[in-house]
Amino acid sequence: MRDALGGWLERAARRGDRGITFVDRRERERVVSWAELVARAERVAGGLRELGVTAGDRIALAFPTGEGFLAAFLGALAAGAAPAPLPPPSRLGNLEEQQRRLAAMVEAAAPRLVLADAALLPLLREPLQGRRRDSAALHPALDPLPLEALPSGTAGAVDVDEATLGLVQFSSGTTGAPKPVALSRRALAVQARLINALWPDANGTSRDGAGATGDGGAIFEPTAQRGFSWLPLHHDMGLVGCVLPALERPADLVLLPPEAFVAKPALWLRGIARARATVSPAPNFAFARALRRVRDEELAGVDLSCWRHALCGAEAVSPQTLDEFARRFARWGFRRQALTPVYGLAEAGLAVTFGALDAPFTVGRFERRALLAGRAVADPDGREIAGVGLPLPGFSVAARDDAGRDLPAGRVGTIWVRGPSLMDGYLGDPAATAQALRDGWLDTGDLGLLDARGELFLVGRAKDLVIVRGRNHAPEEIEEAVAAVAGVRPGGVAAVGWLPERAAEEELLLLVERTRGDAVDGVAALARACRDAVRAAVGVEAGRVAVLAPGALPRTSSGKLRRAEALRRFLSGELAGVDGGTGAPSQAGSAESG
Amino acid sequence: MDPAAAINLGEIRGTLADIAAKLGYRGALSPELRLVEDLRLDSVGILTLAVEVEDRFRVCLDAADEAAIRTIGDLERILRAKLEA
Repeated sequence: MRDALGGWLERAARRGDRGITFVDRRERERVVSWAELVARAERVAGGLRELGVTAGDRIALAFPTGEGFLAAFLGALAAGAAPAPLPPPSRLGNLEEQQRRLAAMVEAAAPRLVLADAALLPLLREPLQGRRRDSAALHPALDPLPLEALPSGTAGAVDVDEATLGLVQFSSGTTGAPKPVALSRRALAVQARLINALWPDANGTSRDGAGATGDGGAIFEPTAQRGFSWLPLHHDMGLVGCVLPALERPADLVLLPPEAFVAKPALWLRGIARARATVSPAPNFAFARALRRVRDEELAGVDLSCWRHALCGAEAVSPQTLDEFARRFARWGFRRQALTPVYGLAEAGLAVTFGALDAPFTVGRFERRALLAGRAVADPDGREIAGVGLPLPGFSVAARDDAGRDLPAGRVGTIWVRGPSLMDGYLGDPAATAQALRDGWLDTGDLGLLDARGELFLVGRAKDLVIVRGRNHAPEEIEEAVAAVAGVRPGGVAAVGWLPERAAEEELLLLVERTRGDAVDGVAALARACRDAVRAAVGVEAGRVAVLAPGALPRTSSGKLRRAEALRRFLSGELAGVDGGTGAPSQAGSAESG
Repeated sequence: MDPAAAINLGEIRGTLADIAAKLGYRGALSPELRLVEDLRLDSVGILTLAVEVEDRFRVCLDAADEAAIRTIGDLERILRAKLEA
């Protein structure tokens, strides 16, 4: 039996005229057609089958952005297996910490095989040694296997259906508890189709009537969709958001390694212009980084008018950043209407809401005190929040109170989502699954409100998650690092992610209780030591460190930290600082800003 | 140390100092300085350093090289080996 994904692979195998262009950081290009990619994938699938891989088996992948990743990913899908992409060990990073994380992810995904880029083998062998020795691993001690070492086998029809596990997507790169999101092949197909249905097809028609609206049609001749992405391929926005929709058409897609973008953001804008790309998504921090780091002279001859959809998601969207981005790059033909805030999460397959296409993004202005109290009151001078749009077809979004009751429009609650591509659950973790999925609804852990039109505005996070530069961190891993700093009260650290008003991107806020009796003049030194510890452990620069009096952080009756409440109190100035005052953002005495 | 190598090292140090300054490090470079703890580079800083080093020295750092780099001295040693090869 062949499902939608199988059908797409077959169709793509006949497309020698479109494909994926790999750009390196010296802007050299290598084009690989879909026909070539699928042929390679079929060889991988044959090898997997030869080794005994069957439908729904997990295959972990550790590859940098490149042809190898695509061959392994599509090959696993062709074999009916579920790829579980791992973050490849990154450059000069804290190797032990990366290896620890990889080992934990492999443990959680329990794959039958690990496929890896040959260059990464030396870094992977050790952490994977002896993992899942007791499992159904097909290779002793899960020794990672390069594609070249796969046996040759014959490709053929696989018996899969839409309910078969299609992808294991890690939702946060945590040390302690990686959360492997299990998505069915149906969920993947639904997402790719939904995303493609948003904009006109190559022949100018969109399949469900959505997308071909607005003034964009008058400006643009309908052209084939051409994506450009530097997003990591182990990240859902890069994989489900870019690769799968390109496969479904099949369409052209240009890929740049993420490290190339980070080191030289101009490569993103130049690459879009050179490829005449129409769609390129990125997290908010990327727009902020481009603003800060791209120099005018790097954009000589660049024309960004082709960039029809600049999707911004994966973390809180800063209206200021988008606004500045539009103004700064208008000179190079960038259109403000291209900026489209979007919202999604791995647990929902990916996309949940989309801002209006070809239209200026929405900005809500909310009275601050009312918002902290959970109510939306319009205030032209209030806090600006970018709207992330309306639910995609088939999706419903609700704001609910703590008791799970739906809240009316304009009230802040936890955002719940229902739709056709929700995860099956967290792999091997029924308790976490039961907590996240209830009666067909997904608890996103995000805080937000719906306006009268049903547009979603996100105001914060109820779940304990820190997102910096588009990457998810468990607060525990950050707090653990800070807890080791002398002068920090044991258990008295809260790591919280937030988007400060008028800030360019999300920041890490450290709320740190100091030990009793220490001199107040040591506050700056303590804050600095906390920063150093976080940078060394997780490679993140804290945006702000607030040193608090012992016992200042709110806890549950059982002593668990209440991080969202701590942030709320911090913002409203209710946290006791070491100087006897408060740790409010305005109080320079106890809050050190970076 | 032969004179050619000494010149080489001086040039390497100079270029690294240049890159480090671009990444916000204020101070003189010395071999024992650690990239994360002393130069205070976060993950983006580290990545930028790696790419700048490859671009300026026209070398390719592979995964095994990178695993061995903790300090400015480690980086200089690997660069010298590559440049002399």
